[in-house]
Amino acid sequence: MPPPDPAIRFEKVVKRFGPLEVLRGVDLAVPGSSTIAIIGPSGSGKSTLVRCINHLERIQGGAIRVGEVTITADGLESGGRRLSGREIARHRTGIGLVSQSFNLFPHLTVMGNIVEAPTGVLRWPRAEAVDKAMALLRKVNLEDKANAYPATLSGGQQQRVAIVRSLIMDPPIMLFDEPTSALDPELTGEVLRVIRDLAIGGRTAIIVTHELRFAREVASHVVFMEEGRIVEEGPPEQVLGVPREVRTRAFVNSILE
Amino acid sequence: MSFNRLWGIFWEYRDVLLTGIGVTVALSIAAMLLAVVVGLVACLGTLAKSRLVRAPAILYVEFCRNTPVLVQLVWVHYAWPEVFGIKFDSITSSVIALALQSSGYLAEEYRAGIESIEKGQIEAAQSLGMTYPRLMRRIVLPQAFIRMLPGILNQYVTCFKSTSIVSIIAVPDLMYQAGLIVSATFLPMPVYTAVAITYFLLVLVVSSAVRYLSRKLPAGGYFQTERHAAA
Repeated sequence: MPPPDPAIRFEKVVKRFGPLEVLRGVDLAVPGSSTIAIIGPSGSGKSTLVRCINHLERIQGGAIRVGEVTITADGLESGGRRLSGREIARHRTGIGLVSQSFNLFPHLTVMGNIVEAPTGVLRWPRAEAVDKAMALLRKVNLEDKANAYPATLSGGQQQRVAIVRSLIMDPPIMLFDEPTSALDPELTGEVLRVIRDLAIGGRTAIIVTHELRFAREVASHVVFMEEGRIVEEGPPEQVLGVPREVRTRAFVNSILE
Repeated sequence: MSFNRLWGIFWEYRDVLLTGIGVTVALSIAAMLLAVVVGLVACLGTLAKSRLVRAPAILYVEFCRNTPVLVQLVWVHYAWPEVFGIKFDSITSSVIALALQSSGYLAEEYRAGIESIEKGQIEAAQSLGMTYPRLMRRIVLPQAFIRMLPGILNQYVTCFKSTSIVSIIAVPDLMYQAGLIVSATFLPMPVYTAVAITYFLLVLVVSSAVRYLSRKLPAGGYFQTERHAAA
């Protein structure tokens, strides 16, 4: 079992894409088992921030602590030792990532998508993985789609499968990168329900979202980012209800209108 | 020259021609099988992070693509014994030379297929804890292969036609047999016409099959139906 309290801590994190500075010294503490929502205009660096946690993006400055692992510009280390590619891959099994575009594997069935990593990476017996996958599919009302290919599913169904695909490995951390942004409005509800009722469940969760009502409902802490910096953070009632900063207020109002 | 005369030559030399066709088909298949594997290795080499791996792979691919197949054939057959100290019989040399040529083109075909896979697929696989070799094998290559298949089959057509040059190192393929018949009959026009028609019909069969298969392939949308076998 992974450590029960895998807090994430960003320390002066800097990320550049060429000359463009996307994260300009971000400090943020995510307590274990808490749910944090990150909001902000597009291009504010919120997706990048989340993607740095499982090292899909390299950082150029500062440090990110994820459980026992520290990420710096030099790579990942734990206990003073650099992690190999294989160890980085293993580290990622403890971090679920659900992205805007689902990214289901089109050549595999729903079941194939879900059991690929547990059987291939974690070496579970196939029957055990299939049982657990079916149990999760039942919870998201997709048990009849186990043998369907992703192309035959709606966006909302695909995203629920993507969530199950991450959850089956029971990661202590779940990251959601605009999980409903690519969905038709009438499909966002079913996905948000699954995130709230199933995916968060005692895990450390970070959700990048434009759904302010949802953020208010599930998050214990809301972070507003703009131009690579955290402008304001605090409890949802404050950041979303009575924001202190002018820019936060302008953003929240623009979304609510 | 009447049709009957042409047919007469076909018929009289049918055994020789059939042997030639057999050799041509066998050569093209052997060369292609070798090229499919070598091309994949070369392609993965060109995509490697390490320059020590990448540079020779790129050099290999460029060499294969940018030298005439006739030159490669003569080079393998007559120069390798001195350069590398290995001497092959003419059939083996032909297979190697044809494979050399095709592997270069296939490597490029593979690379285009691999690079056409969306970045999100790779990121999803990485996020699930897959290492690079695993995500290549399980996620990228199976998807890329479908997209590469028309290109691979077209390269087979090219390879098939290229086999006609191996007669210059005395491989008894269709073209070589034609030369023998000409020296026996002193009738170059009907014999070479017969051979041209034979090649045309053979290649037509192969390339029609390729076109048919390419149309059958799911265009990007992938498998649209349920799979009923147990998952």
